[in-house]
Amino acid sequence: MRRSSVVLRSVVILYVGALLALPLGFIFQQAFVKGWSQFWSALRDPAMDQAIWLTAKVVVLAVPLNVLFGVGVSLWIVRHPSKLSRALDVVIDVPLALSPIIVGLMLELAYAQTGWFGSTFAYLGLKIMFTYWAIVLASIFVSLPLVSRQVIPLLRELGEHQEQTAATLGAKPGRIFFTITLRSIAWAAAYGVTLTLARVIGEYGAVLIVSGNIALLTQTLTLNIGANFDSFNSYQGFVGSLLLGLISVLVLGVIGIARHRLERKRYDSFV
Amino acid sequence: MGYVSLLVLIPMAALLNEAFKGGLGTFWSAATSTEAWDALKLTLACSLFAAVFNAVAGTATAYVLVRDRFAGRGVLNTIIDLPFALPTVVAGVTFYTLYGPHSPFHVNITGTWVGITVAIMFVTLPFSVRAVQPVLETLTSDAEDAAATLGASPLHVFRTVTLPAILPALLTGTGLAFARALGEYGSVVFISNNLPYHSQVSSSLIYSLVSSDQNTSASAVALVLLVLALTVLVVSNVVARQLAARRG
Repeated sequence: MRRSSVVLRSVVILYVGALLALPLGFIFQQAFVKGWSQFWSALRDPAMDQAIWLTAKVVVLAVPLNVLFGVGVSLWIVRHPSKLSRALDVVIDVPLALSPIIVGLMLELAYAQTGWFGSTFAYLGLKIMFTYWAIVLASIFVSLPLVSRQVIPLLRELGEHQEQTAATLGAKPGRIFFTITLRSIAWAAAYGVTLTLARVIGEYGAVLIVSGNIALLTQTLTLNIGANFDSFNSYQGFVGSLLLGLISVLVLGVIGIARHRLERKRYDSFV
Repeated sequence: MGYVSLLVLIPMAALLNEAFKGGLGTFWSAATSTEAWDALKLTLACSLFAAVFNAVAGTATAYVLVRDRFAGRGVLNTIIDLPFALPTVVAGVTFYTLYGPHSPFHVNITGTWVGITVAIMFVTLPFSVRAVQPVLETLTSDAEDAAATLGASPLHVFRTVTLPAILPALLTGTGLAFARALGEYGSVVFISNNLPYHSQVSSSLIYSLVSSDQNTSASAVALVLLVLALTVLVVSNVVARQLAARRG
């Protein structure tokens, strides 16, 4: 073992440890700094519970919509190339380069009652800005490309040989989709779904603008944590952070497994 | 396509429209006000520093993950993605508590460019690591070993054999990190103290303009930031592609 490689390894572990692991551990420490009984009562804080409930409701709508869209659009871009689908391939990645604050501003300009569509929706009796729907809209926007960015490269790599073979053998399109296509992209999609889930739960800037950030009404869990910090109630903020920290550990686990499976799949396809 | 245009294209058009609503002159004075200019300089400096620092640290991390074998490598590999999994606001409040006025280490970097840069370094680390790692994995160590056998020092081997191979991917990853850093909000806003002219990043300025109903000024600042981020992405991709093509 060369000494230089041990030094490099130690420096890397120290850097990643200080930058990533230390903050994660610190959240756990801070949430329990006042003991169990305080922790239990903080968990029953009405504003935080309402915020958790709202975040869950946003996840239930935004994540499935983006997964359906992500898988569908990937298939369309890879299997049916056209000028339109190539343009879409570029446009769909735009949300990755946008500041969440700019996303919030853009949505407000388009969907506020004084904005472009707001007046039309208001005429129909619909209010979008500063409601649940605005939060869903912002969540979908920021996580739009996360599934397709995982699925598109894999679909390109796999090609269509298996589907064509199945079709030659007389399989119906629906059966081909479920037994071959969906199964071959399952881990890439799972990876994308997990990233989408993490992003929707964790979005802050865009939701801050479009929700109005009203406690007990339009405050998601991330907004609730920020509000608790701003009002010097950092303990309550850390209890909320602990819940999100636990979710992020689960997310890391799933991402790790999905990546491992994907690498093995790549290796298998070369053999 | 309708879904995408309703979501992305129409709001982008609305932003353009709002930014130029008062004409070019209004746009220009909002985009180049002292407040906007100071925020942009700070944002650019911190983002660039963090992106370049992480280009080096990320390459070292990827190198260790691919070439080194030790207990805990799996954990290290998994935790790299933490910034993708942990909400930015959680990172923000945690850094504020770790390195703020009541820091357990007695280090207070709130309101300084160092604090902002640390927050951005947290958010952008996985971009560089995950860009370089797959390239290093396909690069067998044969060429490196051959160079070493011929008497090249480890640093010389890295500079002449490894670095040219990973450079295109490294550039793409660093560009992505830089673009992401320019718009970062949740992790930065707490530790920055958000003082106009002093420690306010562009995304914070946009937020405070929106909160005080100055949507036109907010859109002007946003447009500048957006164009910068897109330029960074496009340039880094084009240069990376040319570098890769030259290597054949």
